[in-house]
Amino acid sequence: MSIFKNHKTSADRSASDRSRHKEKIKRALREGIYHIVSDESIIGQDGKKKIRIPVRGIKEYQFVYGDNPSNRKVGGAKGKSIKRGQKISERRRARKGSQGAGNEAGEEYYDVEITLEELGRYLFDSLNLPDLEKKKIKTILGEKTKRSGHRNSGIRPRLSKKETLKNKLRRKKATQFAREADAEGEDERFPFHESDLRYRHIKTKPRENSDAVIFFIMDTSGSMNKKKKFIARSFFFLLYHFLRHRYENVELVFISHSIDAKEVGEDDFFKKGSAGGTLISSGLEMAVEIMNKRFHPDSWNIYTFHCSDGDNWPEDNDRAVSLSSKLKELCQLYCYVQIVPDEDVSTLWTQGGMASVYEGIADGRFKIVQLSLVEDIWTEFKRIFGGGNV
Amino acid sequence: MSDWTLKDLKYWDDKIIDIAKGHGLDWFPINYEVCDYYEMIGHMCYHGMPSHYRHWSYGKSFERTHQMYNLGMEGLPYELIINSNPSIAYLMRENPLYLQILIMCHCIGHSDFFKNNRNFSETHPEDITTRFRNAKRRIHDYSENTNIGSKKVEAFLDAVHTIKFQTERNNRTRLSRRELKEKYVDVINSSNDYNFIDVDKKLISKDNDLLSFLIEYGTHFEDWQLDILSIVRDESRYFIPQIKTKILNEGWASFWHYKLMHKLELPQDCHLPFLKSHNQVIKPMVGKVNPYHLGFHMFKKIEERDGIDECFLIRSIHDDAAAIRCYLDLDDFRELNLFSYSTKSDGVTIDEISDDRGWEEIKLDLINATGMNSMPQVIVSDISDCGDLIIEHMHDGRDLDLEYAEQVVNNIKNLWPGDVKFFTIIEEDSWEI
Repeated sequence: MSIFKNHKTSADRSASDRSRHKEKIKRALREGIYHIVSDESIIGQDGKKKIRIPVRGIKEYQFVYGDNPSNRKVGGAKGKSIKRGQKISERRRARKGSQGAGNEAGEEYYDVEITLEELGRYLFDSLNLPDLEKKKIKTILGEKTKRSGHRNSGIRPRLSKKETLKNKLRRKKATQFAREADAEGEDERFPFHESDLRYRHIKTKPRENSDAVIFFIMDTSGSMNKKKKFIARSFFFLLYHFLRHRYENVELVFISHSIDAKEVGEDDFFKKGSAGGTLISSGLEMAVEIMNKRFHPDSWNIYTFHCSDGDNWPEDNDRAVSLSSKLKELCQLYCYVQIVPDEDVSTLWTQGGMASVYEGIADGRFKIVQLSLVEDIWTEFKRIFGGGNV
Repeated sequence: MSDWTLKDLKYWDDKIIDIAKGHGLDWFPINYEVCDYYEMIGHMCYHGMPSHYRHWSYGKSFERTHQMYNLGMEGLPYELIINSNPSIAYLMRENPLYLQILIMCHCIGHSDFFKNNRNFSETHPEDITTRFRNAKRRIHDYSENTNIGSKKVEAFLDAVHTIKFQTERNNRTRLSRRELKEKYVDVINSSNDYNFIDVDKKLISKDNDLLSFLIEYGTHFEDWQLDILSIVRDESRYFIPQIKTKILNEGWASFWHYKLMHKLELPQDCHLPFLKSHNQVIKPMVGKVNPYHLGFHMFKKIEERDGIDECFLIRSIHDDAAAIRCYLDLDDFRELNLFSYSTKSDGVTIDEISDDRGWEEIKLDLINATGMNSMPQVIVSDISDCGDLIIEHMHDGRDLDLEYAEQVVNNIKNLWPGDVKFFTIIEEDSWEI
């Protein structure tokens, strides 16, 4: 006879192993995070928004046979119409999951849900930014309120019911204790007394004001192709989240320019097609104009990032340089990002494009970055913000 | 809610037992535990062992199963039973009565296989749960120990897990280092024709059991490390017979649940759902081999051709590779419609199909892809003069995945005080890592 019983749950037995696995995944995420620049429109999204990112599973290595012609697999066929040499799958694909006892190499992905805030934290905590960064973030004094204990007097709205009740109970117990010797006045009413009342105390604290505005300026001339735009976008993504991480209130201004400039919404900024020639000065001029009108440098931390492929009309160069010097004064950081995808390197690099025109005025506040691969973004990013060895 | 109570299960259990005994099945007593699907996955990721030491990889296994379950990518295997005496089997609370009956029949098949198949003779099912529990406790103690700590334990387990199946696969008795030395001394004393080896430093003969080798020759290990090495080795030794007999074991269990269910006189409304579930389980898979399907096919065919005694013989002495080699012929391959395929530089193409020209090759490919044959084996070939460990892959025509091999070798380096050299063959040239 077999024995039957209801399983006595010993809690959730794999809980600790799962949390350890999650920790490992999150660490892997942190280490590889700069690979994740999602296609989603996440720039300008609320930091609370959750995104799902596939993270490559943590592999458990063993000796396994490779996926090559010497390693033949066997399977059942659907019909009789199969032939030798017939192709059944186009390319080597990473298989999902694994078959059998995990004896095959295959990519596994785990969806990790993460808020953009967390993402930012992972990103930038790992940066370990040195002191230099502090100089770049201007501190403007503001006030911040914080709770701090309780007081006997205060205004009604700050009455702390919990503390008040606690005091009443204390007093009641004490009274009962004192009375015990006497008679038993047990169920007498025991009302609140003036002296029971407690109020929350609030302190004001000075703190760094954290209003920042970021100007994203992008060249949308005909020469800015999709690939360049993707790099620009990825770079902007990092910048945005980095600055968001530092300031509480971040405003964004998107300016796109070809021959003339326009302030646009985020969607248009990244999606709009490219056409026309390039007058870099038009975009810069617009930025200066908006700053003067809406964002005074005394109360805003201003950051300006300009992405272009460096292909400017030569007659515009002087004007661009003088506007750039002006921007430099207005901004905490002004950064010119020149994007030249690999294949173009030979043609343009030798002449240097706009980057070489700017060279003379570059300094701690005005930085020139040259990007050719998405993989460079993180290194360049670190170079801008991290360390004095720029 | 479910359409059954524990009383119903007992009622059917008595009937099943009578019929199964009448057919000559001989199994361990079975303890059934009724649990929900979440607990089921929980047990599955520890291979059904009631207690098991902790490691994040089991959490990963849970996440993967759970994810697949939620995506509907994979129905849970409808039974989970472990090779112990008494056998422990889990029944999922959500399943309807007919399915519980089917699973109980199926479990008797497994338990009979565990008890009688030669490959399991060294698994000691009578105390396996105790062994696992003790191992868990000891590893837990090492993690709590202030001189060791969970970080070190985890890192060590990570490294050992990369070679967890690099141990004896065929129950051969191992000669200890001392025995080997004595034998070698005998050889030297009795003949003049020998190579001189420094027996205290070098290897007398190649060693196909990397884990045991580390335990014997790794004088640098601390006690807790040696203990973990042997815990992992023992676990692998316990599971290897199951890996080697997956097809026969599932085939035997399916063969018997099918037989028993027909003898049970099920109520009418149970019969059709039973057939449906049965067919789902033994359904062939496109591009893969479903062990339930292949195993069921084999036993059914052999019963028809050679009688039921032959089936009992197979369940007693064979593993999957041997049974495929001995019993599958052209007709089977035609019927199973198997083909072999591999990945070339430009895509995956079919290499052979089951006609009279190709079936024998497919048979070899199938044997290679079965059980422990699907895992590469490495041997320790020597310790060099400067203490380096030399490991060789037993190349059988199939090349290793180099990325994985490199990572494993790096992990072995963490287990050996000297350097580690690894040799294999890639595209017919020797390769060193």
